[in-house]
Amino acid sequence: MKFLIRRLGFYLLAAWVSLTLNFFIPRLAPGDPASALQATFQGKLDPAALEAMKVAFGLTDAPLYEQYLTYAWNLLHGDLGISIAHFPAPVTEVIGEALGWTLFLAGISVVISFVLGTFLGIVSAWRRGGILDSIAPASFIFLGAFPYFWLAMLLLFVFGFLGGWFPLRHAHSDQLEIEFSLTFALDALTHAFLPALSIVLASLGGWLLSMRNTMIGILSEEYVTMAQAKGLSNLRVMLNYAARNALLPNITGFGMALGFVLSGSLLTEIVFSYPGQGYLLYEAVKSMDYPLMQGLFLAITVAVLAANWCVDVAYVFLDPRTRR
Amino acid sequence: MVRCPVAFRRGHLEFELGALPPPDTMKSIPLHRLFPISSVIVCLFALLGATGCKKHRPPPREQGVAIVVPTQRATWIRNFNPFFESQARWPATAGIYEPLIIFNRSTGQFIPWLATAWRFEENNLKLILTIRKGVRFADGAELTPEDVIYTFELMHQKRALDQFAVWSHVKAVSLKDEEVVFEFNRPFTTPGLFIIGRQPIVAAHIWKKVADPVKFSDPHPVGTGPFNQVLKFQSQVYEVGANPDYWQEGKPGLKKLRIPAFGGNEAMALAIIRGEIDWSAAFIPSIDRVFVEKDPEHRGYYFPSLEGTVMLYANTQRAPYSDVRVRKAISHALNRERIVRIAMQGYTRPANATGFSDLYKHFFDPKVLEEEGDFTEYDVSKANALFDAAGLSRDEDGIRRMPDGSELEINLNCVVGWSDWIIAAQIMVADLREVGLDVTLRTYAFGAWFQKLQLGDFDLSMSWSDGSATPWSFYQRQMSKDTLRPLGEPAENNWQRFRSEEAEKLLEQFASTVDDLEQKKIASELQRIFVREAPAIPLFPGPTWGEYNTKYVEGLPSEADPYAPLAPYKAPGQLLSMIELRPSGTGADSENRGKAPIQKGGERSFGNKRMKP
Repeated sequence: MKFLIRRLGFYLLAAWVSLTLNFFIPRLAPGDPASALQATFQGKLDPAALEAMKVAFGLTDAPLYEQYLTYAWNLLHGDLGISIAHFPAPVTEVIGEALGWTLFLAGISVVISFVLGTFLGIVSAWRRGGILDSIAPASFIFLGAFPYFWLAMLLLFVFGFLGGWFPLRHAHSDQLEIEFSLTFALDALTHAFLPALSIVLASLGGWLLSMRNTMIGILSEEYVTMAQAKGLSNLRVMLNYAARNALLPNITGFGMALGFVLSGSLLTEIVFSYPGQGYLLYEAVKSMDYPLMQGLFLAITVAVLAANWCVDVAYVFLDPRTRR
Repeated sequence: MVRCPVAFRRGHLEFELGALPPPDTMKSIPLHRLFPISSVIVCLFALLGATGCKKHRPPPREQGVAIVVPTQRATWIRNFNPFFESQARWPATAGIYEPLIIFNRSTGQFIPWLATAWRFEENNLKLILTIRKGVRFADGAELTPEDVIYTFELMHQKRALDQFAVWSHVKAVSLKDEEVVFEFNRPFTTPGLFIIGRQPIVAAHIWKKVADPVKFSDPHPVGTGPFNQVLKFQSQVYEVGANPDYWQEGKPGLKKLRIPAFGGNEAMALAIIRGEIDWSAAFIPSIDRVFVEKDPEHRGYYFPSLEGTVMLYANTQRAPYSDVRVRKAISHALNRERIVRIAMQGYTRPANATGFSDLYKHFFDPKVLEEEGDFTEYDVSKANALFDAAGLSRDEDGIRRMPDGSELEINLNCVVGWSDWIIAAQIMVADLREVGLDVTLRTYAFGAWFQKLQLGDFDLSMSWSDGSATPWSFYQRQMSKDTLRPLGEPAENNWQRFRSEEAEKLLEQFASTVDDLEQKKIASELQRIFVREAPAIPLFPGPTWGEYNTKYVEGLPSEADPYAPLAPYKAPGQLLSMIELRPSGTGADSENRGKAPIQKGGERSFGNKRMKP
C-alpha cells in the first residue's frame, strides 16, 4: 500500500511537470495562433476584426508567466478554454466528440494485439524451433517493419476498394443513428475491422518477439526444470511458472501502449477517415490551436500516468517483491 | 499506431530476471484461468472479420439526396454561426443563411439574392439596397430591412464578426424608405458591393437573445436558405434538409444534402472514384484516367482558374530585388510551362504578367502585354541580359555576385507539406541556378513560413494573392500604401512591400465609379503599372477543384455549361449550383441557372440595370 501511495505522489509531480511543459512547448514553436488565423482568411481580415478575434480567443500579449498562471488556474477549474480551429466550441466538447471512438478503436486493437502477441510469444518460445516459431516472429516483424501508412492503405485498397468486403471509411454507416442495438454494434464492428487489423498487424510483432525472448531466458531457469521435475502439467509450467515471470516487461510496455492510445492513431484515422483524437491533434498543431493542443496533451498525460499507475498495481499482484 | 520499444524491454528484462524468487513462494494467480478470456477476444476478432466478409456495399441511395464533400475535415463540430465562414460548417454562410448579393465568379456578374436591387448615390458615397419581400426565416418570421441593418450593426459592435472588413469602409448603416443605406468613408463601388453583398443575413429577433454572438455556435440555425433544416448531426456526417417554403419558384430540387467527413485525401479520393460522392472538391491526380473513364457518361470535373494567382514574391526592400530589372530577370528565367505541367499536373495554366487569374478576365487587357512586354515569358537570354544590366555579373565559377562584388545567397521560402508548391519551388530553384543565381530552397512549417512572410524576413517566397470580384483589391494588395507596412511589422498583404503612387490614384478612381467601361479603362492602366514595375512575379492562377457524378443527381455546372463555379467550397457562389441540384432524369430548367432568381409568384429582379456585365 505504501508503495502505491508513494507512486501516486510521484505521478502527481510528473503530472505537474508535464502540464507545465504542455503550456510552454507549443509556445516555443515558431508562429502563433493569430497569424495562423489570419492565414485562413488569406489576409482578407480587417486588423480591427483580427484584434477582436484575438480577444475572443483569449490570445493576449501578456507576459508568459501571467498566461501560465491563468492557464493553471483555469485548469484547476476544469476549464480548458475555447478551441481556435473549431471555434467557438469549448475544448472539452471537441475532445469529447472524438474520445469515445479513439478509446474504442485503439483500445480494442492494443488489447487484441497485446493478448495475441503475448500468447503467440509464449507458444513460440515453448515450442522453439517449431513451425510457429519459425514463421510467426519473422513474418510479424516483417509486417511491422512496413511503413504503417503504406500497410494501412494497402489493406484499405485491397479489402475495401478492390474486394469491397469492408467499408472505406468512418466508424459506422452514415445512415445509422448511434444507438444500443445489434445492427449498430455489428455495423460499428465491421467499420472497425480494417483499421483495427492494420494496428494489430503493425504492432503484434513487437509483443510477440519480446515475450518470446523473455520466455526463452526464463525457460532455462532452474525453477522451471524443477517444476517439470515435480511432474506438473506442461500447460501449468508454461503459463504459471515461465509466462508469469516473463510477462513483467510486456506489462510495462502494455501500460505505456495503453497510455499512448489516447494520443490516437493519427495515421489510422487519416487513412480510414475514422473519427478520433489523433487527427484532432494534427489539426490543432497545424492551426496553432494552443487551447486544443493543451487539452489533448492533458488527456494524453493523464492517460499515460493513469495507465502506468495501473501497471504499478498489476505489478503488486504479479511480482511479490514490490509488496514489501 | 502503437509500437513497443523492444530494445528497451529487453534491457528491463535482464534486470528483472536476476532477482526472481523461486516460483513456489508466489501466491499464484493461475494464469491459465486467463485463457478463456483471451480466447474470447480472439473469437470476437474472428467474428468481426466474418461479419465483414459478406460484400460490403453502401446501402441503396434514397431518392432526392445528394452526397457532397466540400471540405476535408476528420470530424464535424456542430457550428452554424454564419459570421465565421471558415470555422462554421459548410452550408452555414450560403445554404442555411443567405447573402444579399452573390458574385458569380464564372460569369463575373452580381446576382441579386436577398437584395433585389442596388444603386449608388451621392458621388458613390452611398450604397442603397432594396431588400426582397416575402422571404421567410425557418421560424416563419419574414425577413425585413431591419434584419439586414441589425446584422451589420452587430458586426460593428462585435468586430470579430466582421470577417470581410465591411466596417473599415462603411461609416453607417441606416433605414430610409424601406431601403437599407450604407454610407462609405470614401467612394467604394463594386468592391464594396462585393464585400457587403456576400454577408449572410441573420434574424434580429433570434440573435438579440444570444448572449455572446462571438462565442455562439448556433446549433439550431434559423435561416432563409434553400437547405435551412439541420436534420442530423454526428461527428462523421451531417444532413441538411430542404426549406419547404423557400422563396424561389421550384427550388431547391432535392430533399436533403448529406455531408460526410474525410480526414485524408486518400479515403476521399477512393470514395469519389467509387462513385459514392455526387459533388466534391478534391485534388485527384490523373483525374481523366482514374475518375472520368470509369463512367464517362455521368462523371466529369471542372477546374477553372478562379482563385488568386500563386506568386513568387521578391522582397523589394532588399537589394538586389529592389531593382525591377532583377525581378523581371528572375521571372524570365522561370519555365512556367514545366512548373504547371509537373507541379500542378496541368490543372492550370502559366500566368501572364498582369497577374490576373480567370477571375478578372473581364478586365484583362491583352494590349498591355503587347505594349509593355510580358515579363513572365520564359527567355533565359533575356534573363541573363537583365541580370548583367543590373550589375549582377558572374564570377569565375559562373555564380552571379552583387554589383559591389560581394556574394549573393538567395533563399526561396516554401511551406512544409504543400507538395505541389514544393515541386514548383524545386523547379524554380533549378531554373534560377541555370542563370547563375545561388538559390537554396528553404521549407518551413506553416506558422514559421507565414511569420517570415508577414514580417518581410525573406528574399524570395511563394505565396497566394487576392481572389475577389474586382482587380481593385488584387492590385490594392500588391502596390498600395493602404496595405504597405514597414519591415518587421506584420503585413496582412503586400508582403513584397511595394507601393506606386500612380497606382494608388488609379485605385481610388476605380472605387469611385460604377461605369463599367471606365473601370475597364482604369484596370488597363493598373495592369500597365504592374507589368512595368513587376511588384510580384506571377507563377500560375490557382485552380478551383470540383467534380460531379450525375448518376443520382444532376444540375451542377460543368465545363460545357459553366453557369457558376463547380467548386462547392466557394461561398456564397455555391448557392447558385446548390439550388439547381435535382434527381437525375427529372428534366432541367437550364435557362435561368446562374442568373437572377425568380421568386414564387413574383417577377425576376435584375439588380442594377446600370451595371451591365
